[in-house]
Amino acid sequence: MSTGTSTGTSTGTSTGMDLQIDWTRCDGHGLCALLLPESIWLDDRGFPVFRRREVPEHLLPHARRAVAACPALALRLERSAPRPAPHPAPSHTAPSHTAPSHTVR
Amino acid sequence: MTATAEPTHGPLPAGIMPATAWGTARLLAGTTSGRVDLARHRALHGVPRRADAHHLAAALEAVGLLGRGGAAFPVATKLRAMPVGRRGHVLVNGSEGEPASHKDRTLMYLAPHLVLDGALTVAHALETERVTVVIEDPSAFSSMAAAVRERTDARRVRLVPHDHGYVGGEVRAVSRALSGGPAVPPGRRVLPTEHGIGGQPTFASNVETFAHVALVLALGPEEYGTVGASGEPGTTLLTLLGDVPHRGVVEVPTGLPLSALVGPEPGPLLVGGYHGTWIDRPGELTLDRPALRAAGVPLNAGVLARLPGGTCALGEVATVAGWLASESAGQCGPCFFGLPALTDTLHRLASGRATTEEVRRRAGLLPGRGACAHPDGAARFVATALPVLEDEIATHRTHGHCGRPLLGALPAGIRRAAA
Repeated sequence: MSTGTSTGTSTGTSTGMDLQIDWTRCDGHGLCALLLPESIWLDDRGFPVFRRREVPEHLLPHARRAVAACPALALRLERSAPRPAPHPAPSHTAPSHTAPSHTVR
Repeated sequence: MTATAEPTHGPLPAGIMPATAWGTARLLAGTTSGRVDLARHRALHGVPRRADAHHLAAALEAVGLLGRGGAAFPVATKLRAMPVGRRGHVLVNGSEGEPASHKDRTLMYLAPHLVLDGALTVAHALETERVTVVIEDPSAFSSMAAAVRERTDARRVRLVPHDHGYVGGEVRAVSRALSGGPAVPPGRRVLPTEHGIGGQPTFASNVETFAHVALVLALGPEEYGTVGASGEPGTTLLTLLGDVPHRGVVEVPTGLPLSALVGPEPGPLLVGGYHGTWIDRPGELTLDRPALRAAGVPLNAGVLARLPGGTCALGEVATVAGWLASESAGQCGPCFFGLPALTDTLHRLASGRATTEEVRRRAGLLPGRGACAHPDGAARFVATALPVLEDEIATHRTHGHCGRPLLGALPAGIRRAAA
């Protein structure tokens, strides 16, 4: 599945906003991938896979629409965790985004 | 505190493994003759020292104590994140839902007072009386309950049976269950130190962590740091499984070469249990949480296993993958559907009907796609096995089997109680 218009390493102007998802709410309706294919595609069960979490300036209106359209209220836009460096952190193009707080056992 | 060779304690209850200290016995001091009661505990460790939160954090920082439940978070940092005062809770996590791990139940059974000393020390430092210990194993529970009755300073300690499996033992799931909710991790990021039991700040850690807190104060940071690796001094508990020189629970100084624990020869080795990493030989790795993490082989809750040469290695991996799938809390689609699909692909790989690449793709879809780290850990367990088992997989691909029986060297009993 390759529908991405985001090629290469260019991620656009940073907005400081990240897409976040509450996986316990997501039921795989899939509207987010329709409205924001640049950032989200769907696995074979219809659950979203993030190409990247950061939302660049030119996608922000689309990201807001995707958040508003989520029937399960699972998708959110949240301010990115503060980053030490002024430039954006490496984009999470691979579906790997492990927050340290998730690993506390 | 002397070196001990072989465990000589009497018959142990089911679920409690023989425990041996190699070199300096600290957590396991006095356990060669079985459970350490209060009198013996006091003779070994003295009356517990107390410290305020500032001094306790300084002492824990001086020895670089890391949490022993799996995440290896610096304990001093966690303590400093807690407000001091009555609102706070102390949560001792003894759920140990991983069937490969036995160190926590063994510690609670053999040295319950050391765990209680640590929990009460933290509670004293935080100026709270609210201490909760959750315990899965019935023998460990009985021993802890007897310990609470033996002493006068633990009357307020609440012991709670907690049998909610692997994911249900994750600290935020435990905290939620203790707050009257379901024993599943919350969908949004919360830190127990901010929003724990009943929504109150909660200092939560693994039972072994608390026992070390007691030792750091009893010995003092300098004495505590006289054994072990410089990066993470002291001792650690491990569960050694499979084809290793000494199976069972051991207390060892950190800094030992892994080859001393599991033997130097090559062969599939699992470091860090069922959310852990497969490697093909111990090599130069040493037992040191920061160093192992830097090497990409985190120790997690301290399970080390070597697969016996006579077992179907791919079958062992698939069996554990199936167990991991059965332990999904069922909350998050990518985990609930993804882990059974991954297991199915592994079984098809074993019968020569799928490729390594298909397994890798399935595993690659899991990380970061759940409310907790269960899909991440399961993906790591499976994905890292693939290169290590390359020769076995080739045989399976050609013949549809490897000709070896499945010995079940990695325990994966489906023993989940009804929630």
